[in-house]
Amino acid sequence: MKLTLAKASLVRHRSRTILAVLGVAIAAAMLLDMVMLASGMRESFRELLMTRGFEIRLAPKGTLPFDTDATIPGVRAVTDILRTNPDIETISPVMGASIHIPVGERNVSSAALGIDPSVQGDYELLLGEDVTRSDAIVANDYLLEQLGAKIGDTLNVATGYDPQTRSYTGQRRLVITGRVRFIYGAAQQPGSAMRRETLEGMVEPERRDRVSLFMVSLRKGADIEQARSWIAEQLPNVTAISIATAIAQVDQRLSYFRQLAFILGAVSLFVGFLLVTTLVTVSVNERAGEIAVMRAIGVSRAHVVQQIVIEGVAISAGGAVLGLALGLVTARYLNAILSAFPGLPVAIDFFLFQPRAAWSALALLIASGIAAGIYPAWRAASLPIAETLRREAIA
Amino acid sequence: MISPLATFLAALVLQDSTPMPRTIAIDEAFAEAAHLNVGDRVSISGRPGTETAPAEWVVVGAIFRRGADPSEVARADFKVRLHLDQLQRLSGYGDRVDRFAIATTDSADMARTLERVNRQAFGFRAYRSREIAVETSRTFLVVSRFHRAIGVITIVASSVFLLCIMVLKVEERRRDIAALRLMGISRASVAQSIVIEAALVAVLGSALGVLLGWVASLFVNSHYQALYQTPLAFSIITGPIVAFAVTLSLVLGIAAGLAASLRLVRTPPLTLLGR
Amino acid sequence: MTGPAIVSLREVKRDYALGAERVHALQGVTLDVASGDYVAIVGPSGCGKSTLLNLIGVIDQPTSGTVSIAGKRVDGMSDREATTFRLRSIGFVFQRFYLMPILSALENVVLPMAEAKVPPRERTKRAAELLDYVGLSARLNHRPSELSGGEQQRVAIARSLANRPSLLLADEPTGELDAHTGAEIISLFQRLNADGTTIVVVTHDEDLATAARRQIHMRDGRIVGDAFEI
Repeated sequence: MKLTLAKASLVRHRSRTILAVLGVAIAAAMLLDMVMLASGMRESFRELLMTRGFEIRLAPKGTLPFDTDATIPGVRAVTDILRTNPDIETISPVMGASIHIPVGERNVSSAALGIDPSVQGDYELLLGEDVTRSDAIVANDYLLEQLGAKIGDTLNVATGYDPQTRSYTGQRRLVITGRVRFIYGAAQQPGSAMRRETLEGMVEPERRDRVSLFMVSLRKGADIEQARSWIAEQLPNVTAISIATAIAQVDQRLSYFRQLAFILGAVSLFVGFLLVTTLVTVSVNERAGEIAVMRAIGVSRAHVVQQIVIEGVAISAGGAVLGLALGLVTARYLNAILSAFPGLPVAIDFFLFQPRAAWSALALLIASGIAAGIYPAWRAASLPIAETLRREAIA
Repeated sequence: MISPLATFLAALVLQDSTPMPRTIAIDEAFAEAAHLNVGDRVSISGRPGTETAPAEWVVVGAIFRRGADPSEVARADFKVRLHLDQLQRLSGYGDRVDRFAIATTDSADMARTLERVNRQAFGFRAYRSREIAVETSRTFLVVSRFHRAIGVITIVASSVFLLCIMVLKVEERRRDIAALRLMGISRASVAQSIVIEAALVAVLGSALGVLLGWVASLFVNSHYQALYQTPLAFSIITGPIVAFAVTLSLVLGIAAGLAASLRLVRTPPLTLLGR
Repeated sequence: MTGPAIVSLREVKRDYALGAERVHALQGVTLDVASGDYVAIVGPSGCGKSTLLNLIGVIDQPTSGTVSIAGKRVDGMSDREATTFRLRSIGFVFQRFYLMPILSALENVVLPMAEAKVPPRERTKRAAELLDYVGLSARLNHRPSELSGGEQQRVAIARSLANRPSLLLADEPTGELDAHTGAEIISLFQRLNADGTTIVVVTHDEDLATAARRQIHMRDGRIVGDAFEI
C-alpha cells in the first residue's frame, strides 16, 4: 500500500516529478564526475605504471623520471649492484636524447629513447620488428606522419645539436623497422627508440655511460618497499621511486583536482538534497489534509513517514540512474579538456569510471534522498490531527 | 653553523689565506624545510651522491620569496640562486647560459633591439617575454578551460534547480492564486506579482552570492597560497565577473519565476482548488 | 440507553490558543453513550460539537477531564496507542469525505485493513462486501474523481467500517451533499445502527438530527439539552 501511495503521489504531479528528477540527475552527474575525478587520476596512473610490471624506477637524485636533463652515471656499475639483490628480476636502463631528422628544407625533431629491446617497458610494438639490429629505429605514428616515412625507410638521424656551430655530435643512417605506441607518450608528440648502444654512439662523449632512468621489476612476492630502501642505500646518487611513491608525488602535484572534486561533489550532494527536501515539503504541505485523515483513520506516524520518504527516495533513485548516463558523458568532455595538459601521457585519464565509484555516488544520493524526506515527512505526520482537519476544512 | 663574522675574524687571527666563502640565496620553502637561516654555512655540489668533485662551502646570504610564477606551483622543488660563474663551474656547463634577460628603456627600443639581435643571432633567438609566457602557460590554459567547463555545467545545473524550486514554491500557493483569479485579478497581474517577487529574491540571492563568492575566494587564496607557499593569486574577483554573475542570476531567477507563474495562471482557478 | 456505556466523558474541558487569545471550546462536558446508541450532537457554529467529536475519536486530547471508550481510558494515551486504538476501535466519517484521490474505491476501503495487517485476500474480500453493503458494488475500481459526492461519502462510510470498529463517528457527513443524496446517507446510517453499530454524528442537518434516536444540544462548550426520540 505504501508503494502504491508513493507511486501514485509522484504520478499525480507528473511535470513536477520530472523536473525534480532532472534536477537530481544533474546533481548526480556532477557527484559521479567528482567521485571519478577524486580517484581517477591515481588509479589511471597506477595502471599505467604497472603496464609492463616494473615496480621501481630509478631517477637521478631528487628528480622524477625525465623531469630534468640530469642523468645517472655508470650504467654497468649500477646494473651490477642491482643484480646482487636476488629480489630484482629485470633491469631496464633507458637513455633519453633528442634526435633531428632532415626532411627537405626542414628538420624534424623527436624525443628518442635508447633501450634494450629484450627488457624495455616503454613502448608497445604495433607493426614490424623491434630494434634487434644496431641500425634499427622504431617510431610512433606521429613521427612517421611528420617524416612522411614508413617501415623500411632509411633516415639520416643526428643528435647533439649545437645551435651556434650548427653541427651535430653524431649522425647515423637508421632503418625504420617498426611502428610503436609509447606507453608514457603524450598526445601529438613525436617519439622514437633505438638500441642504447646506438644512441650512445651518437651523443657527446660526456653523455656516454649515463642513462635518464632505470626501470626495475621484482620477482613475484618480493617486498617492494624493502627493495626500494635497499636500492636507496646502495645507490645514494639515485632516487628510487616505487609505484606508491610515484603516485603519492603525483597526488601531491595534482592535489588541487582532488580538493576541487571534494568541494564540488559536496555541493552537488547538498543541492540534490535541497531539491528533494523542497519537493517533499511542498508535496506534504499540499496533502496536509490527506495526511491528517490517514492518521485519523489509524495509519501510524511511522507508516506515513515511510510512504513520504519512499517518494523522496524514488526521485533520488530515478535521478541517480539518469545522472549516471549524463555523468559519463560530461566526464568524457571534461577528461578531453584535461588531457590536453602538455606532456601528459595519453594513457592517463583524470576521470576514470570505476563501478565502486558509481555505487558510492548512488548510495550517497539515496541516503541523501532518505534524509531529505525524513524531516518534512515527520513534521507532516506529527501535525495535530484535529487542528489540521479544521484548518483544511476552512481552507 | 658558523657566522660570516666569525669566519672573517678567524681568518684574520689565523692569517688564513683561504678566500671568504661565497654567498647563495635560497627560497623561503627551502629555508623552512632545511632549517636554514641567513649566515648559515652549507656545502653545495653539482652532482648528487659521493661520486663528484669535493663540495664547495657557501654561506646563505639571503632568503627570498618566490615570485607568483604559475608554472612553479605544485612542484615541490626548491630554488637556489648562485653566482653565475660558480653555477657554471659546479654544473660543468662551461661558459654557457640558458638565456639572457634584457630590459630596454622603452618599447621602441625593445622592438629595435629585438630586430637587431635576431638579425645577428648566432645559435639563439630573441623573444618578447610575453610570447614566452603564452607558450609556457599552456598548462594554465588547460586548467582555465576546465574551470570554464565546470562553470558552464554549474550554470546549466543552477538553471534547472532554480526552475524546479520556483515551480514547487509557486505551486505551494496555488490556492492563493486561485483566490486572486476568482476575485477578478487578471492573469497578467498575478504573473507580474510573482515575477516581481522572483526578481526580488534573485536580487537578494545575487547579493548574498557575491558575498559568499568573495569570502570563498579569500579562503581559496589563503589556503592554496599556504599550501603551495606562493604569493600567486588563485582566485580573483573583478568588476566584470561580478556584473556577469549578478546579471546571469537575475536573468535566470526572473525567467524561472516567469515560467513557474505562467504555468499556474493558465490553469483554471477551480482546477487549482481541486474541483 | 440500549446497552452498557461505550463512550464515557467526565468533566471534559478543551482549551486551545487562537492567536493571542485562549478559546474554551469545551467547558466541563459529562456524557455517556451506550452501545447501540445513535446520537446526534447539534448546536450553532463554534459551540464545540466538532471538538467533542474529536475527543471521542481520540484525534485530540482534553485539557482536563477523562474520556473512556469501550471501557478504556483514552485521555493521556501516547500518539502510538491512540493511533492503534483509532485503527481498531473507531471509524471516522468526515464532511469532505477525504478519500485518497489516487486510490480506487476498493483501495480506499482496503487502506485501514492493510494498516491493521489483515491478510490481502481477506481485506479485498471484506472491502468488496462493505462496498456492496453501501450499494457501490458496481463502482469498485473507480477513483473518487469518477464518483459523485454521495458515492464518495458512501465509500468513506465503508472505509470507516473496515476494521469492525466499536464506534462510528461522523462529522457533518451530509454537509457537502444535496438533500436527495443526504437522505440516502441518512438512510444508510439508520441501517447501520439497526445492524448494531453505535453512531455519534455532529450535524447542522435537521433531517439527520431527527433520524438519530438521541439528540444532544450544545451551546458555548456545554451540553444544554439531551433528549431521546421515541
